[in-house]
Order: sequence, then structure tokens, then C-alpha cells
Amino acid sequence: MREKATTLYIGPQHPGITGNMMVRVKVEGDTIVKATTEVGYLHRAFEKLIEKRNWLQSFTLLCRFCVPEPDPVEESYARAVEEIEGREVPERAKYIRVMVLELARMASYMLWYGGQAGSLGLYTVGQWSVGDRNYILDLFEELTGGRVYHMYIWPGGVRRDMPEGFEEKVLKTMNYLEKRLDDYDDLMFENSIFQKRTKGIGIIDKAKAIEWGVVGPPLRGCGIKHDVRIDDPYEVYDKLDFIVPTHEGGDIWSRAQVRRQEIRQSIRIIRQVIDKMPGGEFYNKVPNPQKWTLPKGDAYARTEAVRGEVGMYVSSDGGTHPRRAHFRGAAYVHGITLLENLLVGENLADISAIMNSLGTCPPEIER
Amino acid sequence: MEEIKKAAIEKITTHFREVTAEQHNGNRVDFFIGKEEIPAILFYLKDEMGYNHLSHIACVDWLEEKEFEIVYIVWSYTDKIKIFVHTRVDRENPVMDNVDMIWRQANTYEREMKEMYGIEFTGLEAPEEFLLEDWEGPPPMRRDFDTEAYAREKYWERPGREDARDVRETIIERTGEELPDFAKKYKR
Repeated sequence: MREKATTLYIGPQHPGITGNMMVRVKVEGDTIVKATTEVGYLHRAFEKLIEKRNWLQSFTLLCRFCVPEPDPVEESYARAVEEIEGREVPERAKYIRVMVLELARMASYMLWYGGQAGSLGLYTVGQWSVGDRNYILDLFEELTGGRVYHMYIWPGGVRRDMPEGFEEKVLKTMNYLEKRLDDYDDLMFENSIFQKRTKGIGIIDKAKAIEWGVVGPPLRGCGIKHDVRIDDPYEVYDKLDFIVPTHEGGDIWSRAQVRRQEIRQSIRIIRQVIDKMPGGEFYNKVPNPQKWTLPKGDAYARTEAVRGEVGMYVSSDGGTHPRRAHFRGAAYVHGITLLENLLVGENLADISAIMNSLGTCPPEIER
Repeated sequence: MEEIKKAAIEKITTHFREVTAEQHNGNRVDFFIGKEEIPAILFYLKDEMGYNHLSHIACVDWLEEKEFEIVYIVWSYTDKIKIFVHTRVDRENPVMDNVDMIWRQANTYEREMKEMYGIEFTGLEAPEEFLLEDWEGPPPMRRDFDTEAYAREKYWERPGREDARDVRETIIERTGEELPDFAKKYKR
């Protein structure tokens, strides 16, 4: 006998959903036959507000585009503005930016550890990783003044130089976190529940992945080696030595493996950056922001965030305010067209695990 | 890289007549083309030239020129070049060809542009609402949409807030403090 289909509303207030959004699923038994993403709970009209602000004032909004990892958004906007104006960035600022981006990547992965494991009922991982993430936030607090929102990377360089003795603190934290990663492997990746519930679940078709716009760890989890840091190098990534890990399979397990290895690469990058850090200026000062005009033109700068490619399209009409700043988030594709496709045929209980593995971030979809 | 850029420009300009190309520094090439040719050029870029990653679709409102500019940004993983395809749409009658059969994810961008700019995409199959719920006003991302005026007209004052006023006025009254000149400019 064919079971009757039921419609269920997962979210917007649901512990398994990665933010304020809803997935409307049609289920037969507990198998999903249709999924629709519903957004609109979080729209803050940031892009409209940015049009009303001058080139520097928008930074208080930019960092709120994606809460777990705000720095790539700031960096892509700053780089787009620099590209339109042709402003040079001092070498030291570029190295500091890479360090901040990689620290942010690690902090965001620490949060992902908690989310991914928590979606499968392994709550201890989250308690550990959020505690360890705080050590990175401590570094951010000392460097930028803010723990979560930094507003540190801006056009022309970075806002402040590194405080005295900061390098040693970063290295110390890296040494500590590197040791902790082995504990996470034991607790999470060796866990049989984690393995059983992630292997073969939420498989992305490798042949279709690029066409569907899959980017970042989900793409590399299909065994396709693409990363903006390598393909379209920005800042000083072309001068650094690191590998882009991939994993065959396309399921949640592969994506988790990619992220697990990427954290170790981030530590490697940060150590190199500190080793090679040049001296000199950290900021190429912009004129009075109230009168600062940019030439007419547009630019699209993209950055590799933990969720994949994020980018900022900035258009200037030659005035003191942006004509348009349009953000591209990886979740804009992953959270809607890809998620709706992936969920079909999966089990109701796996929605949360699949969403976490894609890194769906609703504030990035709505802005 | 310069050869790849030149080859891309040559291929596109020989294949499409009404197109102008513009070279930029770095790995970027721009094409300006009429809106009727958009599906054709995107199909060509994707299937014949390997630009199979749709990075972004952006929309800019050029109110003074009475036009919308739509920019498609595509990326080739093999050539490592990003191509910007610009087109202009009349602001009075904004109708655009739908490209979600080329890239499924374009559907999301088009739904947003339809809501935020009021651009109609022919044959767009999507649910009615995306970000805005029960929206009856003009498309809010258009430059001539005045957020403040709309809010004043549409929403009413909460009872008990009739005397709500600028906090700076209260400060002046209570402390007698003089406002600095730059703060006086921003009147509510």
C-alpha cells in the first residue's frame, strides 16, 4: 500500500536548521519526496542601506552578512573597492589579511564541528570546539577589538597594526589547536554513529557539481580540486605553500573529511604567514571618507570562505557612495537549488546533517 | 593569460556581431551586448568555451539613464578567466530572457531581481514569493524607492509614541549641551 504524503515544516525555529529559514518537505513515511526552501525571515535590506552610505561606512553592515565568518565579506568588498580605484595595498597588510582570513576559517570550522556533530546527536564535540574557538576569538579581540565582528580589513589595508608580541600568541594558539585536532578525530571521525550516518548520505553528483554551482568543500568533497585561493589567487596566497585537500564520494563524510584536512592546512598557512611577515606600512590611507570619490566602474572580487566562493560585485558611478554592492554567497546556491535537489530521497532525520554539511547560512541568502 | 583573453574576445566578436569587448587588468574580460542575445552568448560561453561556472548575476539601477544593467559573471576553471557580460534593460518595460535552463541556480537570482527590481523574466517558473511576503509596494531595491517615505505612509505610530522625537533634542533640553556642527546636519 502506498503511504499518504504529508507536508512538514522544518523551521524557521528548529534546532537542526542552520539559522532563520524553513525547509518545507513532503514526506512519505520518513522519506522526502519534495523539498522547498522558504526564506524571508531575516531580510535586513543591507544592500539598500549600503547605497545610502559612503564607501567606508558600510563595514558595520558587511560583517553581518554572515555571522560565523564575517572576514571574507569585508575582504571581498575592500578588494573590489581597491580594484575600482586602483589603490595599492602594502605588502604587510596583505599578509595580515591572509592571517585574519585563515583564523576566521578556523573559527568557523570549529563552529561547524559543533553543528555537524550536534545534528547527529554528538553534543560533546560542540562543547569542546566552541570552547577552543574562544582561543581564536581572544586573538581577534586583541587584534581588532571585536570578538565576532571585526571590521578590520578595509580599503587600503587593515585598520591597525598587530600589537606587540601578537605573533607568539598566534603560534602558541596554533600549537595548542593542532594537538586538539587529534582529539576531535577520536571523538568525531572515529565514532561509529558519525560514520554510519554520514557515509552515503546527501550525495552530490560529481558530473553535475560544477554546472549546479557547487563550490568550496562540497565541490572538493566530490573529488574536484577547485579553490579560489589557487585558481584565482588574491592577496598573497600565490606565495604560500599549501595543498587543497579533496575526497572522493560527494557525501557528508567526504565533505567532513575535506574540512578536517583544511583546518590543518590553515594552521600551516598561518605559520608561514607569521614566518614571512614583512615590516613596513600596514595601511595606505584613504582621503576624508565624506569626500572620497571613486572613479566610475565596477569590480567583482571573490574570496574562498569556508562555505565556498563568496564575492562582492561593487559598482561605482563616480560618487561618494556605492551605486550598488551585490553580495554573492555560497549558500545562495547551496541553500536553495542544491539543497532542494539533494534532499529528495533522503531520510527526514538527515535534513539537519545535510544542511550543516553544505554550510547553509541564511543571512547570506537574504542579506 | 593575455593570449587566452585575446582568443576569447576574438571568438565572441566573430560569433556575435553586436558586441563590444573591453579588456581589463588581470584575468577579466568584459562584453557589452543587447539583451536579446543574452541566452545565446551564455549558452555559447558555457557549451563551446568551457565557462561553466556561473559566479554571479548582479543588477544595477541606472535611474538617470532610465535603464537597468544586468551583469552575468562567468568563470572558466580551465582558462582561469572571468567574463563579465553586461546588458541594459529598459526601466519602463523591464522584460528579460530567462536563463535558468542554462544554469539552474540562475533561477534564484532571477526570483530576487523580479521582486527587488520588478524585472519580468519570460517563462520563469518559480513560486510567487521569495524574500518579501505580502508585498504590495513598488520594488524596493529601485533607486527611486524611498524607504522612509514608504514607511511613514504605510505604517502607523504605535500608541504612546506620539511624542517620540530625536534623542538629540531630548539631550539638549535636559543638559543644555550644544550639538557639534557636524551632528546638526543629520536632521530626522
